Amino acid sequence: MTIPLTAYLVVGAILFAIGVYTVVAQRAAVMILMGVEVLLNAIGLNVIAFWRFTAPEDYSAQIFAILIITIGAVEMAIGLALVLLLYHQRQTVQIDAFSELKR
Amino acid sequence: MTASFEIIAFSISAFVAVAGALGMATTMSMFRSGIFLMASFIGVAGLFILLAADLMGVLQIMMYIGGFLVMILFMIMVMHDPGGAMMAGMDMSLIERWFSKGLVPRAPPDGNDDGQMHHRGHKQANSARKQHAQENGRDPEKRGPGHHGGKGGSGMQAGGASHGGMDMGGMDMSMVTPVRPIAAWLAGAVGLLLVGMLVLRPNWRFVEALPDPDSARRVGHLLMEKYMIAFEGAGFLILIGIFGSVLLARPSSYPDESSRAARVAVDAGPEPIRDEGLRPLAEQSPASALRSDRRHSDEHGA
Repeated sequence: MTIPLTAYLVVGAILFAIGVYTVVAQRAAVMILMGVEVLLNAIGLNVIAFWRFTAPEDYSAQIFAILIITIGAVEMAIGLALVLLLYHQRQTVQIDAFSELKR
Repeated sequence: MTASFEIIAFSISAFVAVAGALGMATTMSMFRSGIFLMASFIGVAGLFILLAADLMGVLQIMMYIGGFLVMILFMIMVMHDPGGAMMAGMDMSLIERWFSKGLVPRAPPDGNDDGQMHHRGHKQANSARKQHAQENGRDPEKRGPGHHGGKGGSGMQAGGASHGGMDMGGMDMSMVTPVRPIAAWLAGAVGLLLVGMLVLRPNWRFVEALPDPDSARRVGHLLMEKYMIAFEGAGFLILIGIFGSVLLARPSSYPDESSRAARVAVDAGPEPIRDEGLRPLAEQSPASALRSDRRHSDEHGA
């Protein structure tokens, strides 16, 4: 407990900011999914840090983090399937090419 | 766990997590992005273990690195220019050049010569220079002007803009959008907002109790008792996700219309089985041989 809670939260905030930058600035769909993963990682880090410092007897926070990881997995699988489908149709992964849903 | 060890472990884990995420966001090579992302995951797993959430650390490594990263790297293998060799010669800020070190620039195979890439670099140089001026205050290192930024005059920038529409049918092949400065501003604002909220409200009610060292057992009991619905719901969500991704990625969509039409035509009317008729069995089978024998004997009898 020598490391204060604020240090963990600052790390989480920096990770969140980098994830936001990646999601906004990157152009390839796979890179955007990577940015979303970093965002989810930051959220999980915040949840676990708050659990450790404010409510260490209640393990619900770990359940929450597990659910975050699970939903991230499903999102990643669906997203990559969509990217693969769009790549087969448009021969590119740049999301600027996916501006309309119809072919 | 001594205090100094904890400080050292926290420093290493936090550095690996943040530097990995930064490298993921700024390198020009998608493959390197995946590897940097793995470093970031490992750093966050170290932080989890440092926070006495061992199960979460192990799950982080198993799920993210064992599952997601394999998926991501598989997807990157399919992509166009995964190594970032085409982007390596473009303008980059200092940190992008640092994380893209060692990438060898290569002309795209579809006729875009190196000079055009150079022009494109000039086109983005001004936006990159604006980005350098304002980079997020967290980063201690000062970002210098971009590689091409020092040489790019206004005339060259105009030339680059006129060249810009020609490549790849109006599609810029860069991996990052031209709104990078705005994105960096936005990310810096989000980070500053979060850190400011942390600083302004530090009065969390701390509990000094240590968590159970066998926290995985507690989590398992909670999953099976109190959060049963959430657990089942997550399982159902995974099932639906499997169905959805199989439905999306099933091999029924063809890259072009002609092969699809060919396959549909094949499916619509199966080729009829040619009925050539059976050859008379007189010569081969022993039964017919027997019958022919009997016919012979009949002939003899007649």
